[in-house]
Amino acid sequence: MNSQYDAANTLGLQFFGSMTASISHEIKNALAIVNENAGLLGDLALLVDKGRPLDPQRLQIMAEKIRQQVQRADTIIRRLNRFAHSAHEPMVTTDIREIFDFTVALAARLATMKGVTMTVAPGEPVQVEVRPFQLENLLWLCLKHLFVVTSGSQTVEFAAEAAGADVLVSLRFGAGLPVSEIGAWVLSEGQPLLTVLRAELRPEASLLRLRLPRKTEPSLARER
Amino acid sequence: MRVLLVDDEKELVATLAERLEMRGIDATWVTDYRAALAAVEKEAFDIALLDVRMPEMNGLELKRLIEVRRPTMKFIFLTGHGSEEDFKACSAESGRDYYLIKPLQIEVLMAKLNEIAHA
Repeated sequence: MNSQYDAANTLGLQFFGSMTASISHEIKNALAIVNENAGLLGDLALLVDKGRPLDPQRLQIMAEKIRQQVQRADTIIRRLNRFAHSAHEPMVTTDIREIFDFTVALAARLATMKGVTMTVAPGEPVQVEVRPFQLENLLWLCLKHLFVVTSGSQTVEFAAEAAGADVLVSLRFGAGLPVSEIGAWVLSEGQPLLTVLRAELRPEASLLRLRLPRKTEPSLARER
Repeated sequence: MRVLLVDDEKELVATLAERLEMRGIDATWVTDYRAALAAVEKEAFDIALLDVRMPEMNGLELKRLIEVRRPTMKFIFLTGHGSEEDFKACSAESGRDYYLIKPLQIEVLMAKLNEIAHA
């Protein structure tokens, strides 16, 4: 069992690396836009020196663009901060949709790059006791393999329902995707995560079905 | 000099194009590979400035498609980070170190454009 925890931690590091690399690209883009607008302000100031009048409305538009990008970068950095803390977050009881929402936010840029639209199905809250980072990591593996096989516009919908002592999670894919292939990859690569989450994964027609316990036994909670 | 700018960040390419225009460059900007291909079908550009990481098609793949249509066009790649992996791929594609990291310094970009135009 310990080797499964070690392997899960290794997967966690890879997950952390992929997400932080993607997030840093997003921040770079926001900075690049701020940089160009600041540069344009400087260019316009030089033209004023040469006698060309400056339109105050133009300045307002540029200031607004800079403000929007600073806000964008701030949102991204808040997400990064939450993600960084989640890596050492203990077991918590939470609505599983919050974990879906956060995973979707983390993977949004990579999904856009691949033409994939991600949604979370509406519904009643479904409480689950889990280490969020581990479940986010498992969901990311599903997305990662989806991104490998998709070549055009695609969709994936996250949904959850309570089923007795368990939670049933489904990732429903758009038509034409090799769900069994994605499932086989996740089962192979993500086995340590399935073990530590005490979860089962099964490909079904157009969806991946994940079953995990709503509550964790106290002894396992300590171990995790 | 006619330059085509391709980046999915609209605010970035639009502002950069304006700054290049102020420096005497005839700059056209687009935000995806389809518009880029349409632009090169319609007009002759000297240089394309391509973002490496864009949705649907990356800058390296786009460069190959543009080259089929405009074999004499030259390229500069733009990237967020300048990882070793990106550097090798961009250098191999452009044949030189025509590779810039965001955020850009306009003077560095201008120097690169002039270097390529006179190469």
